[in-house]
Amino acid sequence: MRVQLTPGGTVEHGLVAAPVSRRSAHVLSRFSGRERSVRFWVALWLLAAAAQIGALVPVFSGAAAAEPGYALVFRLLGGSFLVCGLIAWRRRPDSNIGLLMTLVGFGFFVAPLAGQVDAPAGQTAALYFVDIWTIPFVALLLTSVTGGRVQSAVDRLLVWTFVAALGVLQFVWMLFLEQAGNVLVAFPDEGIANVIDKMQRSLTLAGCLGTILVIGGRWRAASPARRRALLPSVAGAVALLLFASLLANDLLGTGTRSDLHLWLAITSLLLVPAAFLAGLLRSRLARAGLTQLIRDLRRMRGTELQAALAKAMGDRDLVVARRVPGRQAYVDADGGPVALPTTGGERRIVPVERDGSEIAAIVYDASLDDDPELVEAVSAAAAIALENEALHAESEGRLAELQASRARLVTAGDAERRRLERNLHDGAQQRLVALSMQLRLLQGRIREDPSTAEALVTTASDELALSLTELRELARGLHPAVLDHGLEPALESLVSRSPVPTTLSCDAVGTLSRPVELAAYFVASEALTNVAKYACATVAQVRVACERRTLVVEIADDGTGGVDPARGSGLRGLVDRLEALDGRLTVVSPPGAGTTVRAELPCGS
Amino acid sequence: MRVVIADDSVLVREGIAALLMRAGVDVAAQASEPEELLEHVDAERPDVAIVDIRMPPTHTDEGLRAAQEIRRRHPAMGVLIVSQYVEAGIATRLLAESPEGLGYLLKDRVRDPDEFVDALERVADGGSALDPEIVSGLLGGGRGNGALERLTPREREVLELLAEGLSNQAIADRLDIALRSTEKHVSAIFTKLGLPDTGTEHRRVLAVLQVLRA
Repeated sequence: MRVQLTPGGTVEHGLVAAPVSRRSAHVLSRFSGRERSVRFWVALWLLAAAAQIGALVPVFSGAAAAEPGYALVFRLLGGSFLVCGLIAWRRRPDSNIGLLMTLVGFGFFVAPLAGQVDAPAGQTAALYFVDIWTIPFVALLLTSVTGGRVQSAVDRLLVWTFVAALGVLQFVWMLFLEQAGNVLVAFPDEGIANVIDKMQRSLTLAGCLGTILVIGGRWRAASPARRRALLPSVAGAVALLLFASLLANDLLGTGTRSDLHLWLAITSLLLVPAAFLAGLLRSRLARAGLTQLIRDLRRMRGTELQAALAKAMGDRDLVVARRVPGRQAYVDADGGPVALPTTGGERRIVPVERDGSEIAAIVYDASLDDDPELVEAVSAAAAIALENEALHAESEGRLAELQASRARLVTAGDAERRRLERNLHDGAQQRLVALSMQLRLLQGRIREDPSTAEALVTTASDELALSLTELRELARGLHPAVLDHGLEPALESLVSRSPVPTTLSCDAVGTLSRPVELAAYFVASEALTNVAKYACATVAQVRVACERRTLVVEIADDGTGGVDPARGSGLRGLVDRLEALDGRLTVVSPPGAGTTVRAELPCGS
Repeated sequence: MRVVIADDSVLVREGIAALLMRAGVDVAAQASEPEELLEHVDAERPDVAIVDIRMPPTHTDEGLRAAQEIRRRHPAMGVLIVSQYVEAGIATRLLAESPEGLGYLLKDRVRDPDEFVDALERVADGGSALDPEIVSGLLGGGRGNGALERLTPREREVLELLAEGLSNQAIADRLDIALRSTEKHVSAIFTKLGLPDTGTEHRRVLAVLQVLRA
């Protein structure tokens, strides 16, 4: 696999090239350590295998038959550290943990291998490097949650303590040590050598105790998630404690070490790779738990989601902070404010994005960065769940709006029917009843009282004319028949009937669907009715145009303005009518500066 | 015969008044809204109050409520409710309370002043007057549990007039048949519909209506 990251560009991941989201970039940045070729890894593994086999040669050849059992364990330690170290290094090239473990592994082999060289230089090297593994080992313990990087001054001091004791003092000691194969001896003096040896053991003991204290302190302060990450350090601290007790025994006691004590100290070193492997296994298991998480995502809402993510990540304190839209603020599932931690602390933040914008952030323990795939998977799962949640809320909102609009349509329809019935009853129907009575009267008077009869005929005829007008108006209100001739003629007659002088401009309006025509007509009709009733306008203008597949109907007047579109059932009814056609209505009506009602309707032409 | 007319449309009111006066009815007063009507009724004590159902202010059932008030104040006074539409639902509720001296007619009926005055007289005498449109609507709907099927065509004609509130004599006159044969038809109808013939005309309308609504 070749992962190449260019800033703001695309990631080539096999055959798939996709834009890098902020989240992916965040995760990928952890892989952006130096790339190593396959050859590098093969060489390293072969070297490790060779070193292990080489270290065991004396055992197989029987040359080490006299060595105690714990010495054999010691020779195997290097291999166990190397296996873990190389796996870790390969998995996280950006972290120094793998490198440190690998160094510890090789460190164990230096002395046993050098000791097999049948030359004074080999014996000298074996003597000098006998404890060299301790330096990267301590560094490893102190930095297991900081990616193998020594960050605090205390850590640095402790590491330098071991460098001073096992690198510098060892060398100085050998200058005075008279021993077979030590080519470094320049001033053989047993007394000075013993003093230096005591100094060296004391310094090492101090280093061990310091390291144990630092790790113990960190353990006490750590969250459960962090404690899991600290486990290899604690295992190492236990081993250090055993070694420290050996050193104390050397300095204070008889000078002889018990076999059991040595057994314990050396085998306890195996706890470190064991703890490391346990961590590896746990993250495998956590990933297996993701399957369950994904399966349950559909049903999850609010706090449930946070609990499930916390479980999947193994971090009880995990927080899903939802971004408040349009603001740099976050809330929890219950709407309470959440303050995001500052960067660089023990808490990390991974943004959850939807369509390139942040919808939430997950706050988790920094130690989980050891398993970036898990972090990414969990944040991707959160993205799905939050998106579901958002879509759910959105669709519920739309549904509510739809139901409200449907109810309004029904109410408006009912009100309209009622209005029509009233108009019929009080208008034309009434006049016709009266008319029929007048005709009846006329029948009786036509002979005996011609002059009254004539007057009656005139009234009757006027009544009839009025009835006809009213019926026409009513019929037009039901459905403007003139629309059968197109929108423009319909608007022309509408404008001509407007009591406020109104001009009409109708540009390039092609063939429109019936509902669109009707909606456009009713917008103009309602708006002009309002102009006549409320606006106190001297002129009005109706403009109809087709702009980019959108029919625009605009009615403007020079009246008093100040119309509140939320009030009045007429405009509300228009909004519903337009929304049913995917259109929209805007009303601009500043007080004293006229009113402009603008409807936009998709018209497909 | 003295009447008071209440209708908010002056054209209709004047029309009714003019036609009734020609037919010899004394129109004592006219009102355009309920309060005015009640004042005139109290002052004039007419034989019948002619009341439009819809009157101000809401134009819904002010007329009906005014009619109820008149009947409460003057139980013996006839009330003829007129409207531009007639509904069986309203008719049955009106008559169910007390059918005596109550009529419910379309306004148009005044075009035939003879029948209209006839109805007025029935109501004034404590009888009922129900618009033929309601009766024919009820008779045409296949109601009456099939009992209507057993009526002869003549009996159906008699039933219609019966339901409108006409007396036996009026039915005989309207159909131009003898009073005796009318009485025979009526008793045949009552038997076929399973009604007890009480002999009084007041409750007949209600009884027939109940059968027709079943």
